[in-house]
Amino acid sequence: MASDKKYGSGGRKEFVRTKVPAVESISSAVILLLIVAIGFTIWHKGKVFDPNLYSVRNDALKSTALAVEGKNGTASTAIQTAPVAAEVPKVVAEKTAGGEEPAPEGGAEGSATPKPAEKGEPMEIALAGTKPMGDTEFYTADSLYEKIDGRAPAYQSFNVVALRCRSFAVNAAPGSYVDVYEYRFDNPVDAFGMFSQERDPKGKPLEIVADGYAADMGYFYRQGAVYVQIIASDMKPETLAKAKSIADIRAKDLPADDNGLAGRRKLPADGMLADSVAYVPENAQGQSALKEVFQAKYKFAGAEIPFFVMVASADEAAKAWQSFQDFCGKFGTTENLPDVNGGKIFRAQVFGKWKVVYQRAGELGGAFDAADGDQARAFIEKYLRGEIK
Amino acid sequence: MSASNPNESPVNRREFLVRLGLTGALIAGSGLAAKKLWQPNHFVPGFEKEKGLQLKSYAPEISKVLPSLAIAHGTDHEKTMRAAMGLLGGMERFIQHGDVVMIKPNVAFDRPPALAATTHPDALRAVAKLCFEAGASKVIVADNPINSPTGCFFKSGLTAVAAEMNLDLLYPETNSFAPLSLDGEILKEWTFFNTPFKKATKVIGLAPCKDHNLCHASMTTKNWYGLLGGRRNQFHQHIHSIVSDFALMMKPTLVILDGMNVLMSNGPTGGRLSDVKPMNTIVAGTDMIAVDAYGYAHLLERDIAELTYLHKANDRSLGNINWKDTLYKEVTV
Repeated sequence: MASDKKYGSGGRKEFVRTKVPAVESISSAVILLLIVAIGFTIWHKGKVFDPNLYSVRNDALKSTALAVEGKNGTASTAIQTAPVAAEVPKVVAEKTAGGEEPAPEGGAEGSATPKPAEKGEPMEIALAGTKPMGDTEFYTADSLYEKIDGRAPAYQSFNVVALRCRSFAVNAAPGSYVDVYEYRFDNPVDAFGMFSQERDPKGKPLEIVADGYAADMGYFYRQGAVYVQIIASDMKPETLAKAKSIADIRAKDLPADDNGLAGRRKLPADGMLADSVAYVPENAQGQSALKEVFQAKYKFAGAEIPFFVMVASADEAAKAWQSFQDFCGKFGTTENLPDVNGGKIFRAQVFGKWKVVYQRAGELGGAFDAADGDQARAFIEKYLRGEIK
Repeated sequence: MSASNPNESPVNRREFLVRLGLTGALIAGSGLAAKKLWQPNHFVPGFEKEKGLQLKSYAPEISKVLPSLAIAHGTDHEKTMRAAMGLLGGMERFIQHGDVVMIKPNVAFDRPPALAATTHPDALRAVAKLCFEAGASKVIVADNPINSPTGCFFKSGLTAVAAEMNLDLLYPETNSFAPLSLDGEILKEWTFFNTPFKKATKVIGLAPCKDHNLCHASMTTKNWYGLLGGRRNQFHQHIHSIVSDFALMMKPTLVILDGMNVLMSNGPTGGRLSDVKPMNTIVAGTDMIAVDAYGYAHLLERDIAELTYLHKANDRSLGNINWKDTLYKEVTV
């Protein structure tokens, strides 16, 4: 039946191609050939892969490269500090696979090759008998780790701004040298904070500056916002003499600035444990009102008494004193003691430890964390009477 | 209305199955061809993860007779070093004739030797001498200080020892690094000072014992930090994790902790002689965790409970923090 051929079982009209046009056949063949060609190209590209295909073209980035301070800045130092030629050891310098010469000294991974831009004045010290061993090195707070690595965070915690350093050979003692480090902080108080943290308890006080000492192999002091370290390479008399001269010269050249250090001056020297001085910028004793506080430990009547002091306006000192007493009252017991030489005093026992806190004429201070309340009181009363200086 | 061709018949079952089979074969063939052509090992920077090298182990065979830890006390560097090595069975136990020995000192800073911030030149001299006596054909000294390598080697006094002993100082160059792969707690893929390891047949870690501002102590385990390249200071945020990873990364022939003069405070740089305390001790061993555990407790005189990275390594069975449980010997020269 004709109708059976026209329509399928589902009632749909059947479509049967009877003729394929030549254009369509040719187009199909071209498409198939193109697919084969594309496939072959992909396969071939993969087979002979060029690893540089996606690599960064460094030459294209030259214009954006910043000068990097630090590591590579010491390269010329190394050359100039090399020992006498006869002692130079074999230094194995690798050649690249392509036979290129090795990178210049100091150009190892982790350093950058561009010559650094100098960020400050070179350290020039006119001292007969010494000779610079290389260029002045400059580091910022961010690049400080390149010079002192894991020690850098300690300086950063006191807001170090920059380090400038240079080495000087001592002509009279071949092989000997003096390293000069000048750490600049954001202010004298922070410089003092770092200086006091590293203080040598056996150091002998220096006359050339207020905060400084001589150690066995060097001189360490704060002058203004700069913490200076002058380190001799050895203990030869010639080396130590030059280190001393350099310390004197730098102390004179650096501007004195004790801004913000008034509290430091309030710390009495009698009985002070030299390595115990510390600066607490804020929230001292857990009190938001106690800012820019200096503290130290004192040997007193056979005991160790921690003592703190803060300089503020009379009004601020009075408020902070009252606030501190209220705080102690919440967590322990407090009692007011008789005034001594114009100073108002309270004593408190908190968590088993004693505090004796005074305030007078814009000064707030006291003993804290003392094991014996009577000793702490005696210490403060003596201090207020001017018997501990 | 279209007319159908009476000569054309609709697709029958057989033809349908044939066509279906051909289509399936074409798809399967395409899949097989794609699989064959696919090259998964291609590294395209920025697009695919790079797989770096893995260091081989340089560790000696474990001995049930000879100690793995030696502690020698004395005032002379060389004699004390010899005594420590003697307790371990002599340097000949570790170094054989013709070996190329790489010594990894800690030369992180350009500090003079007296400040104890770097491996002491007398320690390097003593170890190199022992290696040559044991038959080493060459001794390489290599480290990658963050600061200028030439300045650090020179001021620490190691350049002079290298010249005196005819050692090969291997400074890091740009092409001295290769990517390293490690399944560490934090160290996975990082650039590594690889050149010394292409030549060395034995590896000795020679570290000073010193205080460290960030991780409490720098001893033989942390000494390997100096082999990393790049801006490795970013690991300071996880310093205990990365230091414990070094016990996985490195399987050295031997480690030696120089505790003759210990930097007790203001580390890792120091700067004052008052930071340094003479402890007159050399500790040598094959288990860096045990060596460091002794160093922390008896040379830095601190509570081992606080040294997190040793505990991490111990917990991962990378060493034994209970050094007294190891086979050890102690002597005073």
